[in-house]
Amino acid sequence: MTRAVRFALPAVVIAAAVVIPFVTGPYPLAVARSVLIYMALAVSWDMLLRSGQISFGIAGFFGIGAYAAAISVLRLGVPPLLSILCAGVFAALVAFLMGFVILRLRAVYFSITTLALAEIFRVIVQNWGDFTGGPEGMVLPSLIFKGDSRALYWLALGAVLLACAVSAFFQRSRLRFALTAIRNNELSARSSGIHIFKYLMIAFVTTSFIQGIVGGIQLQGYGYASPDSVFDAYYTLLPLAMALLGGIYSTPGPILGAILLGVAAEYLKLKIPYGHLVVYGIIIVLVILLMPQGLYGLYRKRSGLRAAARAPAAPAQKGATRG
Amino acid sequence: MVGLPFAKDLMVTNVIRPRLGRYILWCAVAAAAVVGILLWKPSALVFGVQRAGLYAAVAIPMALVLGIVHIVNLAHGEFMMVAAYLAYFAARILGLDPFISLIPVAIVMAAFGLVVYLVTIKHALKAPELNQLILTFGLGIALSQSVNLMFTSQSWKLSLDYVSTSATIGELSFGVFDFVYAAVAIALAVGLKLFLTRTRFGKAALAVGQNPRGAAIVGINVDRTYAIVFALAVGLVGAVGSVFLTKQAIFPLVGGPYTMKSFCLVAMAGVGNIVGVLYCSLALGLSESIINSIRGYSGWSNIVFFAIIIATILVRSFREKKA
Repeated sequence: MTRAVRFALPAVVIAAAVVIPFVTGPYPLAVARSVLIYMALAVSWDMLLRSGQISFGIAGFFGIGAYAAAISVLRLGVPPLLSILCAGVFAALVAFLMGFVILRLRAVYFSITTLALAEIFRVIVQNWGDFTGGPEGMVLPSLIFKGDSRALYWLALGAVLLACAVSAFFQRSRLRFALTAIRNNELSARSSGIHIFKYLMIAFVTTSFIQGIVGGIQLQGYGYASPDSVFDAYYTLLPLAMALLGGIYSTPGPILGAILLGVAAEYLKLKIPYGHLVVYGIIIVLVILLMPQGLYGLYRKRSGLRAAARAPAAPAQKGATRG
Repeated sequence: MVGLPFAKDLMVTNVIRPRLGRYILWCAVAAAAVVGILLWKPSALVFGVQRAGLYAAVAIPMALVLGIVHIVNLAHGEFMMVAAYLAYFAARILGLDPFISLIPVAIVMAAFGLVVYLVTIKHALKAPELNQLILTFGLGIALSQSVNLMFTSQSWKLSLDYVSTSATIGELSFGVFDFVYAAVAIALAVGLKLFLTRTRFGKAALAVGQNPRGAAIVGINVDRTYAIVFALAVGLVGAVGSVFLTKQAIFPLVGGPYTMKSFCLVAMAGVGNIVGVLYCSLALGLSESIINSIRGYSGWSNIVFFAIIIATILVRSFREKKA
């Protein structure tokens, strides 16, 4: 990819995403909004994955964000836009505190513990009684922007842009080397002076912040949060499948996957009301077995090969296959 | 920050030579706890033991797979769920009692497990651990959602008359049938231990678990051992699923919590320690039923396992740091 294309392509995509509300009707816009919500989650999941830690806790932080936003509006009287920020900050705070325990765990232990997070948060919220609304959940008196679908779409787009910007920053700064080194070999990373806990904490808190924000946006968009709706395993499963299909360890991969699977999800939901999630299970299995690098990884490999064929001694391409 | 060296954790030496001193200590602690609860809340003791039996029965096959094939099977609970559905249809269509259909269900599930192993898991054995985790996670989703697709999310239950037999001791009256889970768990633990230490194949499997390369050098067919052990474990969890059906309601997502609790128990017992799972599930079952018996707090019992897993893993990682 030439330099010009590399800068022009994101600009074109963003511009197209911004003008979508002017050219489509309300239904495609609602679909696009849900795609954006999952896209932000998928990008944030991938950011933590780059350190080699698989989190199954997306739904947990997403739900925490939704509840934090609801509580800050209903109990503290925070204005709606600010409540979304509260959602992110609260999710980040929870992640920070839990990080001292959870980030000591590795591999399977980390994954299973995060898998349990959504369930734990659900139990807590459900049993807290009046403060969290118990099993009935919480209902907002009014939606943000009075429920205007265009504004809601741009809000979700904002979350995606935030996630992508942070992700791009992760890829271009020292963080990338630290996280990749941790993923490849923790022992050698530590012996080269990388403060492993610090970098894992940065990644964990940042991704949880984004997931919390997305949860807050989802709440403001639908005006309703209940323990069963916001901690649904759906919010873990879909972003995970999207990032895997699109290609992990990159920013464009999860975006690509989210567009493909998000639109498919909407179609399948209409066709198969019960059990359309089976498709995601199968996609995850197939991707892991047949192309663990995902679609974007495949593309990158091929373009890398082509570039390598043209200039066999170009060392820059070597790094490009990993980024 | 000391992570858990995963490969070291997977040593199966505990199966052969349990550390006697630690067991005596644990037994003493358990005995003291049991006496204490008996005096305070006798019903919590009974329910706790019954719960523990079920947890142990589900967790023991997972311990087998983890100890020998070194795969964390996140689809473990889903295999049990599928078996329970098979048993349900055997009961509804053929009129077979779950205790009779147990053997055919186990055989069918073992065959199914073998197919799943050969088609998917076998190809991910050499892949990074992360891929295996995501793969079995996807398998679990695929299983639970296929069932959801075919039979909807409605919950089903058999009404068998013998499950409601009860006994009365003093003022305490309780269901006797649930002790069948404990019997199954003990039978599984003892049977597997004898199988692994007394039979030719069992010894070979243990050797593979300890060191696959070494086992291959002395002429053990490692691939075949993995396949058979995985199929055996799925068959066993299938039998447990059949027994599970006798008293519990089944629905597509019924298996998920058992996967997490099983992993919690296996991690607590030390990977590969099959008999240890019995003690650990006793601890989990009792603590859950105690919380359940406190009025107004019964909803919180579902997060006990989370607290336990965090505590266990932390204690272990600190101990390793000292060593």
